[in-house]
Amino acid sequence: MTTYLFEQDLITQKYRILVAMRHDSLVRKIARELDIPVQELRRYLIEHLDMIQLENLPARAEMADDHADLGDAIARALGREKYTIYLRILSGAAMDAIVNEVNTRVHAGTPVDDAVAYGRTQVREALKL
Amino acid sequence: MKRIVDVNIPLGPIHPCFKEPIRLKCEAKGERITGAEVELGYMKKGIERIMKGRPWQEVMFLAERVCGICSVIHNMVFIEAMEQISDISVPPRAAYLRVIANELDRMQSHMLANFSYCYTIEHETLGMYLLDLREQVMDELERLTGARVTCAYIIPGGVRCDIPKKEAEALLTTLDRMEADLRRYAGMFEGGPMIALRSRGVGILTLAAAERAHVVGPTARASGIAVDCRTNHPTYQKLGFLPITRPDCDNFARVMLRFDELFQSIGIIRKCLKELPKGIVRGGGVCKAGEIRYSGEAPRGELTYFIRSDEFGRIVEIQIQTPSIMNIEACCHEMIIGSDSIADVTSTFVSADPCVACTER
Repeated sequence: MTTYLFEQDLITQKYRILVAMRHDSLVRKIARELDIPVQELRRYLIEHLDMIQLENLPARAEMADDHADLGDAIARALGREKYTIYLRILSGAAMDAIVNEVNTRVHAGTPVDDAVAYGRTQVREALKL
Repeated sequence: MKRIVDVNIPLGPIHPCFKEPIRLKCEAKGERITGAEVELGYMKKGIERIMKGRPWQEVMFLAERVCGICSVIHNMVFIEAMEQISDISVPPRAAYLRVIANELDRMQSHMLANFSYCYTIEHETLGMYLLDLREQVMDELERLTGARVTCAYIIPGGVRCDIPKKEAEALLTTLDRMEADLRRYAGMFEGGPMIALRSRGVGILTLAAAERAHVVGPTARASGIAVDCRTNHPTYQKLGFLPITRPDCDNFARVMLRFDELFQSIGIIRKCLKELPKGIVRGGGVCKAGEIRYSGEAPRGELTYFIRSDEFGRIVEIQIQTPSIMNIEACCHEMIIGSDSIADVTSTFVSADPCVACTER
Protein backbone atom coordinates (compact mmCIF):
# COMPACT_ATOMS: atom_id res chain seq x y z
CA MET A 1 0.00 0.00 0.00
CA THR A 2 1.32 3.44 -0.89
CA THR A 3 1.57 5.94 1.94
CA TYR A 4 2.70 9.52 1.79
CA LEU A 5 5.17 10.96 4.26
CA PHE A 6 3.16 14.18 4.64
CA GLU A 7 0.04 12.28 5.59
CA GLN A 8 1.76 10.26 8.32
CA ASP A 9 1.43 11.31 11.91
CA LEU A 10 4.39 13.19 13.28
CA ILE A 11 4.45 11.80 16.81
CA THR A 12 7.85 10.11 16.56
CA GLN A 13 9.45 13.14 14.91
CA LYS A 14 7.96 15.47 17.51
CA TYR A 15 9.15 13.16 20.27
CA ARG A 16 12.70 13.31 18.83
CA ILE A 17 12.58 17.10 19.02
CA LEU A 18 11.48 17.00 22.65
CA VAL A 19 14.20 14.62 23.82
CA ALA A 20 17.06 16.77 22.47
CA MET A 21 19.37 18.14 25.18
CA ARG A 22 17.90 21.61 25.71
CA HIS A 23 14.31 20.63 24.98
CA ASP A 24 14.50 17.76 27.43
CA SER A 25 15.84 19.94 30.24
CA LEU A 26 13.09 22.52 29.55
CA VAL A 27 10.32 19.90 29.54
CA ARG A 28 11.64 18.43 32.80
CA LYS A 29 11.79 21.92 34.34
CA ILE A 30 8.16 22.67 33.40
CA ALA A 31 7.09 19.23 34.63
CA ARG A 32 8.78 19.93 37.98
CA GLU A 33 7.16 23.39 38.20
CA LEU A 34 3.69 22.00 37.56
CA ASP A 35 4.34 18.70 39.38
CA ILE A 36 3.26 16.53 36.46
CA PRO A 37 4.88 13.46 34.89
CA VAL A 38 7.36 14.25 32.12
CA GLN A 39 5.79 11.79 29.68
CA GLU A 40 2.35 13.31 30.22
CA LEU A 41 3.71 16.77 29.48
CA ARG A 42 5.49 15.49 26.37
CA ARG A 43 2.25 13.95 25.15
CA TYR A 44 0.40 17.22 25.72
CA LEU A 45 3.04 19.23 23.86
CA ILE A 46 3.07 16.77 20.95
CA GLU A 47 -0.72 16.98 20.66
CA HIS A 48 -1.01 20.76 20.95
CA LEU A 49 2.05 22.28 19.28
CA ASP A 50 3.36 21.92 15.75
CA MET A 51 6.95 20.94 14.94
CA ILE A 52 8.39 24.43 14.63
CA GLN A 53 6.77 25.52 17.91
CA LEU A 54 8.38 22.53 19.59
CA GLU A 55 11.75 23.41 18.04
CA ASN A 56 11.43 26.98 19.29
CA LEU A 57 10.35 26.11 22.85
CA PRO A 58 13.74 26.70 24.54
CA ALA A 59 14.21 30.10 22.87
CA ARG A 60 10.70 31.21 23.85
CA ALA A 61 11.22 29.92 27.40
CA GLU A 62 14.40 31.97 27.67
CA MET A 63 12.54 35.09 26.59
CA ALA A 64 9.76 34.28 29.08
CA ASP A 65 12.29 33.90 31.91
CA ASP A 66 13.74 37.31 31.07
CA HIS A 67 10.58 39.28 30.28
CA ALA A 68 7.34 37.58 31.39
CA ASP A 69 5.27 38.96 34.30
CA LEU A 70 8.13 40.96 35.79
CA GLY A 71 5.83 43.22 37.83
CA ASP A 72 3.49 40.58 39.28
CA ALA A 73 4.94 37.92 41.59
CA ILE A 74 1.83 35.71 41.68
CA ALA A 75 1.36 35.78 37.90
CA ARG A 76 5.06 34.96 37.46
CA ALA A 77 4.85 32.08 39.93
CA LEU A 78 1.90 30.68 38.00
CA GLY A 79 3.56 31.42 34.65
CA ARG A 80 0.68 33.51 33.29
CA GLU A 81 2.49 35.05 30.32
CA LYS A 82 5.03 32.22 30.11
CA TYR A 83 2.44 29.51 29.46
CA THR A 84 0.01 31.64 27.42
CA ILE A 85 1.77 34.14 25.16
CA TYR A 86 5.33 32.76 25.18
CA LEU A 87 5.01 28.94 25.20
CA ARG A 88 1.36 28.96 24.08
CA ILE A 89 0.38 25.77 25.85
CA LEU A 90 -2.63 27.29 27.63
CA SER A 91 -5.31 29.75 26.56
CA GLY A 92 -5.19 33.29 27.94
CA ALA A 93 -8.78 33.17 29.20
CA ALA A 94 -8.21 30.00 31.24
CA MET A 95 -5.02 31.37 32.76
CA ASP A 96 -6.60 34.76 33.57
CA ALA A 97 -9.41 32.96 35.42
CA ILE A 98 -6.85 30.99 37.46
CA VAL A 99 -4.79 34.09 38.30
CA ASN A 100 -7.93 36.01 39.33
CA GLU A 101 -9.02 33.16 41.56
CA VAL A 102 -5.58 32.96 43.21
CA ASN A 103 -5.55 36.74 43.75
CA THR A 104 -9.01 36.54 45.33
CA ARG A 105 -7.79 33.84 47.72
CA VAL A 106 -4.73 35.87 48.66
CA HIS A 107 -6.91 38.94 49.38
CA ALA A 108 -9.20 36.71 51.48
CA GLY A 109 -6.22 35.82 53.72
CA THR A 110 -4.87 32.56 52.24
CA PRO A 111 -1.03 32.44 52.46
CA VAL A 112 0.56 33.24 49.07
CA ASP A 113 2.38 29.87 48.83
CA ASP A 114 -0.84 27.95 49.45
CA ALA A 115 -2.76 30.07 46.94
CA VAL A 116 -0.04 29.58 44.31
CA ALA A 117 -0.03 25.82 44.97
CA TYR A 118 -3.79 25.82 44.47
CA GLY A 119 -3.31 27.84 41.26
CA ARG A 120 -0.87 25.24 39.96
CA THR A 121 -3.40 22.47 40.50
CA GLN A 122 -5.81 24.56 38.46
CA VAL A 123 -3.19 24.96 35.72
CA ARG A 124 -2.83 21.15 35.70
CA GLU A 125 -6.61 20.86 35.40
CA ALA A 126 -6.65 23.37 32.56
CA LEU A 127 -4.00 21.35 30.78
CA LYS A 128 -6.25 18.31 31.33
CA LEU A 129 -3.34 16.20 32.55
CA MET B 1 -3.12 18.93 16.30
CA LYS B 2 -6.63 18.50 14.86
CA ARG B 3 -8.88 21.52 14.41
CA ILE B 4 -11.97 22.26 12.36
CA VAL B 5 -11.34 25.19 10.03
CA ASP B 6 -13.11 26.84 7.09
CA VAL B 7 -10.50 26.05 4.48
CA ASN B 8 -7.19 24.27 4.93
CA ILE B 9 -4.71 25.17 2.21
CA PRO B 10 -1.49 23.17 2.17
CA LEU B 11 1.60 24.87 0.73
CA GLY B 12 4.49 22.55 0.00
CA PRO B 13 6.37 20.43 0.77
CA ILE B 14 7.37 21.07 -2.85
CA HIS B 15 6.52 24.58 -3.97
CA PRO B 16 8.05 26.65 -6.80
CA CYS B 17 8.79 29.54 -4.42
CA PHE B 18 10.40 27.49 -1.65
CA LYS B 19 14.09 26.73 -1.89
CA GLU B 20 13.73 23.73 0.39
CA PRO B 21 10.88 21.35 1.26
CA ILE B 22 8.58 22.37 4.08
CA ARG B 23 4.84 22.02 4.46
CA LEU B 24 2.69 24.90 5.68
CA LYS B 25 -0.90 24.04 6.40
CA CYS B 26 -2.63 27.40 6.20
CA GLU B 27 -6.06 27.85 7.71
CA ALA B 28 -8.12 30.44 5.90
CA LYS B 29 -11.49 32.12 6.29
CA GLY B 30 -12.18 33.29 2.76
CA GLU B 31 -8.92 34.91 1.68
CA ARG B 32 -7.86 35.83 5.22
CA ILE B 33 -5.30 33.57 6.88
CA THR B 34 -6.33 32.68 10.42
CA GLY B 35 -3.62 30.23 11.34
CA ALA B 36 -0.88 27.98 10.09
CA GLU B 37 0.77 24.77 11.07
CA VAL B 38 4.27 23.71 10.05
CA GLU B 39 5.36 20.20 9.17
CA LEU B 40 9.06 19.49 8.98
CA GLY B 41 10.96 16.28 8.42
CA TYR B 42 11.52 16.27 4.66
CA MET B 43 15.28 16.85 4.90
CA LYS B 44 16.26 15.85 8.41
CA LYS B 45 19.98 15.02 8.51
CA GLY B 46 20.39 14.14 12.20
CA ILE B 47 23.72 15.94 12.07
CA GLU B 48 23.87 16.61 15.84
CA ARG B 49 23.54 12.88 16.42
CA ILE B 50 26.33 12.18 13.90
CA MET B 51 28.58 14.74 15.63
CA LYS B 52 28.33 13.13 19.07
CA GLY B 53 31.38 11.11 20.05
CA ARG B 54 33.47 12.35 17.15
CA PRO B 55 36.71 14.36 17.48
CA TRP B 56 36.56 18.10 16.75
CA GLN B 57 38.61 17.57 13.58
CA GLU B 58 35.66 15.68 12.10
CA VAL B 59 32.94 17.80 13.69
CA MET B 60 34.29 21.04 12.16
CA PHE B 61 33.60 19.62 8.69
CA LEU B 62 30.18 18.31 9.75
CA ALA B 63 29.28 21.72 11.26
CA GLU B 64 29.63 23.55 7.97
CA ARG B 65 27.50 20.90 6.29
CA VAL B 66 24.50 21.86 8.43
CA CYS B 67 23.73 24.52 5.83
CA GLY B 68 25.10 25.07 2.35
CA ILE B 69 24.14 28.75 2.25
CA CYS B 70 25.76 29.92 5.49
CA SER B 71 28.48 27.29 5.90
CA VAL B 72 31.21 29.78 6.90
CA ILE B 73 29.42 30.95 10.05
CA HIS B 74 28.74 27.37 11.20
CA ASN B 75 32.46 26.70 10.78
CA MET B 76 33.32 29.96 12.58
CA VAL B 77 30.96 29.52 15.55
CA PHE B 78 32.00 25.90 16.15
CA ILE B 79 35.72 26.72 15.98
CA GLU B 80 35.41 29.87 18.12
CA ALA B 81 33.44 27.86 20.70
CA MET B 82 36.24 25.25 20.81
CA GLU B 83 38.81 28.06 21.08
CA GLN B 84 36.92 29.55 24.03
CA ILE B 85 36.79 26.14 25.76
CA SER B 86 40.49 25.56 25.16
CA ASP B 87 41.89 29.11 25.69
CA ILE B 88 43.32 29.24 22.18
CA SER B 89 44.20 32.72 20.97
CA VAL B 90 43.86 33.84 17.36
CA PRO B 91 46.52 35.94 15.56
CA PRO B 92 45.11 39.44 14.74
CA ARG B 93 45.55 38.96 10.99
CA ALA B 94 43.58 35.70 11.10
CA ALA B 95 40.80 37.38 13.10
CA TYR B 96 40.42 40.01 10.36
CA LEU B 97 40.47 37.36 7.62
CA ARG B 98 37.71 35.48 9.46
CA VAL B 99 35.59 38.64 9.38
CA ILE B 100 36.18 39.04 5.63
CA ALA B 101 35.12 35.41 4.97
CA ASN B 102 32.08 35.82 7.21
CA GLU B 103 30.98 39.05 5.52
CA LEU B 104 31.39 37.59 2.02
CA ASP B 105 29.25 34.67 3.17
CA ARG B 106 26.65 37.09 4.56
CA MET B 107 26.63 39.00 1.26
CA GLN B 108 25.94 35.93 -0.87
CA SER B 109 23.27 34.75 1.56
CA HIS B 110 21.50 38.13 1.61
CA MET B 111 21.62 38.32 -2.19
CA LEU B 112 20.12 34.83 -2.46
CA ALA B 113 17.40 35.79 0.05
CA ASN B 114 16.52 38.96 -1.87
CA PHE B 115 16.60 37.02 -5.15
CA SER B 116 14.11 34.53 -3.67
CA TYR B 117 11.83 37.34 -2.58
CA CYS B 118 11.94 39.07 -5.98
CA TYR B 119 11.29 35.73 -7.70
CA THR B 120 8.32 35.08 -5.40
CA ILE B 121 6.69 38.43 -6.17
CA GLU B 122 7.32 37.86 -9.89
CA HIS B 123 10.09 40.44 -10.31
CA GLU B 124 12.42 37.97 -12.00
CA THR B 125 14.56 40.61 -13.71
CA LEU B 126 15.79 42.07 -10.44
CA GLY B 127 16.06 38.54 -9.04
CA MET B 128 18.38 37.47 -11.86
CA TYR B 129 20.50 40.64 -11.49
CA LEU B 130 20.97 39.76 -7.84
CA LEU B 131 21.77 36.13 -8.62
CA ASP B 132 24.41 37.27 -11.10
CA LEU B 133 25.94 39.51 -8.43
CA ARG B 134 25.87 36.62 -5.97
CA GLU B 135 28.01 34.57 -8.35
CA GLN B 136 30.65 37.32 -8.19
CA VAL B 137 30.60 37.18 -4.39
CA MET B 138 30.97 33.40 -4.53
CA ASP B 139 34.01 33.89 -6.78
CA GLU B 140 35.49 36.27 -4.20
CA LEU B 141 34.83 33.72 -1.45
CA GLU B 142 36.67 31.17 -3.58
CA ARG B 143 39.52 33.65 -4.09
CA LEU B 144 39.91 34.01 -0.31
CA THR B 145 39.24 30.47 0.91
CA GLY B 146 39.79 28.23 -2.09
CA ALA B 147 36.21 26.96 -2.22
CA ARG B 148 32.74 28.33 -2.92
CA VAL B 149 30.83 26.31 -0.34
CA THR B 150 32.02 24.30 2.70
CA CYS B 151 35.38 26.06 2.63
CA ALA B 152 36.69 24.82 6.05
CA TYR B 153 38.64 28.10 6.10
CA ILE B 154 38.52 28.70 9.84
CA ILE B 155 40.58 26.35 12.02
CA PRO B 156 41.48 26.48 15.73
CA GLY B 157 44.06 29.24 16.26
CA GLY B 158 43.62 30.94 12.92
CA VAL B 159 42.61 30.45 9.31
CA ARG B 160 43.77 27.95 6.73
CA CYS B 161 45.55 30.37 4.37
CA ASP B 162 46.53 34.04 4.00
CA ILE B 163 45.36 36.44 1.30
CA PRO B 164 48.18 37.68 -0.98
CA LYS B 165 48.37 41.44 -1.57
CA LYS B 166 47.49 41.09 -5.25
CA GLU B 167 44.35 39.09 -4.40
CA ALA B 168 43.33 41.64 -1.78
CA GLU B 169 43.57 44.42 -4.38
CA ALA B 170 41.47 42.38 -6.81
CA LEU B 171 38.86 41.87 -4.07
CA LEU B 172 38.72 45.63 -3.45
CA THR B 173 38.23 46.30 -7.17
CA THR B 174 35.37 43.78 -7.33
CA LEU B 175 33.76 45.34 -4.26
CA ASP B 176 33.76 48.77 -5.94
CA ARG B 177 32.01 47.34 -9.01
CA MET B 178 29.53 45.37 -6.91
CA GLU B 179 28.67 48.38 -4.77
CA ALA B 180 27.73 50.41 -7.87
CA ASP B 181 25.54 47.58 -9.19
CA LEU B 182 23.94 47.06 -5.77
CA ARG B 183 23.00 50.75 -5.51
CA ARG B 184 21.16 50.40 -8.80
CA TYR B 185 19.36 47.22 -7.70
CA ALA B 186 18.45 48.59 -4.25
CA GLY B 187 17.05 51.66 -6.01
CA MET B 188 15.01 49.43 -8.33
CA PHE B 189 13.51 47.65 -5.34
CA GLU B 190 12.94 50.78 -3.28
CA GLY B 191 11.29 52.70 -6.12
CA GLY B 192 9.33 49.88 -7.77
CA PRO B 193 5.58 50.65 -7.52
CA MET B 194 4.52 47.02 -8.10
CA ILE B 195 7.08 45.84 -5.54
CA ALA B 196 5.65 48.29 -3.00
CA LEU B 197 2.12 46.97 -3.63
CA ARG B 198 3.22 43.42 -2.84
CA SER B 199 5.56 44.31 0.02
CA ARG B 200 4.63 47.42 2.00
CA GLY B 201 2.32 46.75 4.92
CA VAL B 202 2.38 42.99 4.22
CA GLY B 203 3.61 40.38 6.72
CA ILE B 204 3.71 42.67 9.71
CA LEU B 205 5.78 41.38 12.62
CA THR B 206 5.33 43.74 15.57
CA LEU B 207 8.21 44.44 17.92
CA ALA B 208 6.42 42.73 20.84
CA ALA B 209 5.65 39.59 18.83
CA ALA B 210 9.23 39.49 17.55
CA GLU B 211 10.58 39.70 21.09
CA ARG B 212 8.25 36.98 22.37
CA ALA B 213 9.33 34.56 19.63
CA HIS B 214 13.03 35.44 20.13
CA VAL B 215 13.22 36.49 16.47
CA VAL B 216 16.78 37.22 15.38
CA GLY B 217 18.83 38.63 12.51
CA PRO B 218 17.49 40.85 9.74
CA THR B 219 13.92 39.70 10.54
CA ALA B 220 14.25 41.12 14.06
CA ARG B 221 16.17 44.21 12.97
CA ALA B 222 13.44 45.02 10.42
CA SER B 223 11.03 45.08 13.36
CA GLY B 224 13.17 47.64 15.18
CA ILE B 225 15.10 45.27 17.50
CA ALA B 226 18.79 46.21 17.53
CA VAL B 227 20.01 42.67 18.18
CA ASP B 228 23.20 41.48 16.50
CA CYS B 229 25.83 39.09 17.90
CA ARG B 230 28.53 40.97 16.00
CA THR B 231 28.30 43.76 18.60
CA ASN B 232 29.76 41.29 21.16
CA HIS B 233 32.51 39.95 18.88
CA PRO B 234 35.95 41.42 19.69
CA THR B 235 37.04 41.87 16.05
CA TYR B 236 33.78 43.56 15.06
CA GLN B 237 34.07 45.79 18.14
CA LYS B 238 37.53 46.89 16.91
CA LEU B 239 35.96 47.69 13.55
CA GLY B 240 33.33 49.87 15.24
CA PHE B 241 30.36 47.75 14.15
CA LEU B 242 26.83 49.05 14.80
CA PRO B 243 23.66 47.13 13.83
CA ILE B 244 21.21 48.60 11.31
CA THR B 245 17.49 48.62 12.13
CA ARG B 246 14.27 49.60 10.38
CA PRO B 247 10.98 50.34 12.14
CA ASP B 248 8.49 49.29 9.44
CA CYS B 249 8.10 45.57 10.43
CA ASP B 250 6.88 44.49 6.94
CA ASN B 251 8.23 42.45 4.00
CA PHE B 252 9.59 45.60 2.35
CA ALA B 253 11.61 46.48 5.48
CA ARG B 254 13.09 42.99 5.71
CA VAL B 255 14.31 43.02 2.10
CA MET B 256 15.56 46.63 2.27
CA LEU B 257 17.38 45.87 5.52
CA ARG B 258 19.27 43.10 3.72
CA PHE B 259 20.24 45.61 1.02
CA ASP B 260 21.42 48.00 3.77
CA GLU B 261 23.47 45.21 5.34
CA LEU B 262 25.05 44.39 1.98
CA PHE B 263 26.47 47.91 1.83
CA GLN B 264 27.52 47.58 5.46
CA SER B 265 29.32 44.29 4.71
CA ILE B 266 31.17 45.91 1.79
CA GLY B 267 32.27 48.68 4.17
CA ILE B 268 33.43 46.15 6.79
CA ILE B 269 35.48 44.17 4.22
CA ARG B 270 37.10 47.37 2.92
CA LYS B 271 37.98 48.42 6.47
CA CYS B 272 39.41 44.96 7.24
CA LEU B 273 41.58 45.00 4.14
CA LYS B 274 42.75 48.54 4.91
CA GLU B 275 43.61 47.78 8.55
CA LEU B 276 44.73 44.17 7.99
CA PRO B 277 47.52 43.58 10.54
CA LYS B 278 50.77 41.94 9.49
CA GLY B 279 51.81 38.59 10.90
CA ILE B 280 50.99 34.89 10.94
CA VAL B 281 47.52 33.46 10.24
CA ARG B 282 47.90 30.08 11.98
CA GLY B 283 48.70 30.06 15.68
CA GLY B 284 47.74 26.47 16.41
CA GLY B 285 46.39 25.05 19.67
CA VAL B 286 45.02 21.95 21.34
CA CYS B 287 41.28 21.49 21.96
CA LYS B 288 40.45 20.52 25.55
CA ALA B 289 37.56 19.45 27.73
CA GLY B 290 34.84 21.94 28.59
CA GLU B 291 31.30 23.09 28.16
CA ILE B 292 30.13 26.25 26.43
CA ARG B 293 27.23 28.11 24.90
CA TYR B 294 28.60 30.25 22.09
CA SER B 295 26.75 32.47 19.61
CA GLY B 296 27.70 34.15 16.36
CA GLU B 297 25.77 36.25 13.88
CA ALA B 298 24.82 34.14 10.87
CA PRO B 299 23.29 35.87 7.81
CA ARG B 300 19.86 34.94 9.21
CA GLY B 301 20.63 35.86 12.82
CA GLU B 302 21.95 34.46 16.07
CA LEU B 303 23.46 31.00 15.64
CA THR B 304 24.17 29.24 18.94
CA TYR B 305 26.19 26.11 19.60
CA PHE B 306 25.86 24.26 22.93
CA ILE B 307 28.94 22.07 23.17
CA ARG B 308 30.42 19.73 25.77
CA SER B 309 33.78 18.20 24.90
CA ASP B 310 36.10 15.75 26.67
CA GLU B 311 39.85 15.98 27.33
CA PHE B 312 40.69 14.47 23.93
CA GLY B 313 38.68 17.15 22.10
CA ARG B 314 35.80 14.78 21.33
CA ILE B 315 32.30 16.20 21.22
CA VAL B 316 30.30 14.57 24.00
CA GLU B 317 27.13 16.63 23.67
CA ILE B 318 26.08 19.18 21.08
CA GLN B 319 22.96 21.08 20.16
CA ILE B 320 22.66 23.75 17.51
CA GLN B 321 20.08 26.53 17.75
CA THR B 322 19.85 27.99 14.28
CA PRO B 323 18.24 31.38 13.57
CA SER B 324 15.71 29.92 11.14
CA ILE B 325 14.00 28.02 13.97
CA MET B 326 12.93 31.28 15.61
CA ASN B 327 12.30 33.13 12.37
CA ILE B 328 10.16 30.41 10.73
CA GLU B 329 8.16 30.00 13.94
CA ALA B 330 7.44 33.72 14.13
CA CYS B 331 6.72 33.84 10.41
CA CYS B 332 4.13 31.05 10.51
CA HIS B 333 2.51 31.95 13.81
CA GLU B 334 2.71 35.76 13.75
CA MET B 335 3.56 37.27 10.35
CA ILE B 336 1.19 35.42 8.04
CA ILE B 337 -1.74 35.42 10.47
CA GLY B 338 -4.24 38.02 9.30
CA SER B 339 -2.83 38.25 5.77
CA ASP B 340 -5.52 39.55 3.45
CA SER B 341 -4.54 37.26 0.62
CA ILE B 342 -3.30 33.70 0.36
CA ALA B 343 -0.92 34.99 -2.33
CA ASP B 344 0.93 36.91 0.40
CA VAL B 345 1.76 33.78 2.37
CA THR B 346 4.63 32.65 0.15
CA SER B 347 6.13 36.13 -0.18
CA THR B 348 5.89 36.73 3.57
CA PHE B 349 7.43 33.34 4.29
CA VAL B 350 10.30 33.97 1.86
CA SER B 351 10.84 37.51 3.25
CA ALA B 352 11.93 35.95 6.56
CA ASP B 353 14.73 34.12 4.66
CA PRO B 354 13.79 30.67 6.00
CA CYS B 355 16.43 27.96 5.83
CA VAL B 356 14.91 24.53 6.29
CA ALA B 357 18.30 22.78 6.16
CA CYS B 358 19.36 24.81 9.22
CA THR B 359 16.01 24.28 10.97
CA GLU B 360 16.04 20.52 10.60
CA ARG B 361 19.80 20.04 10.97
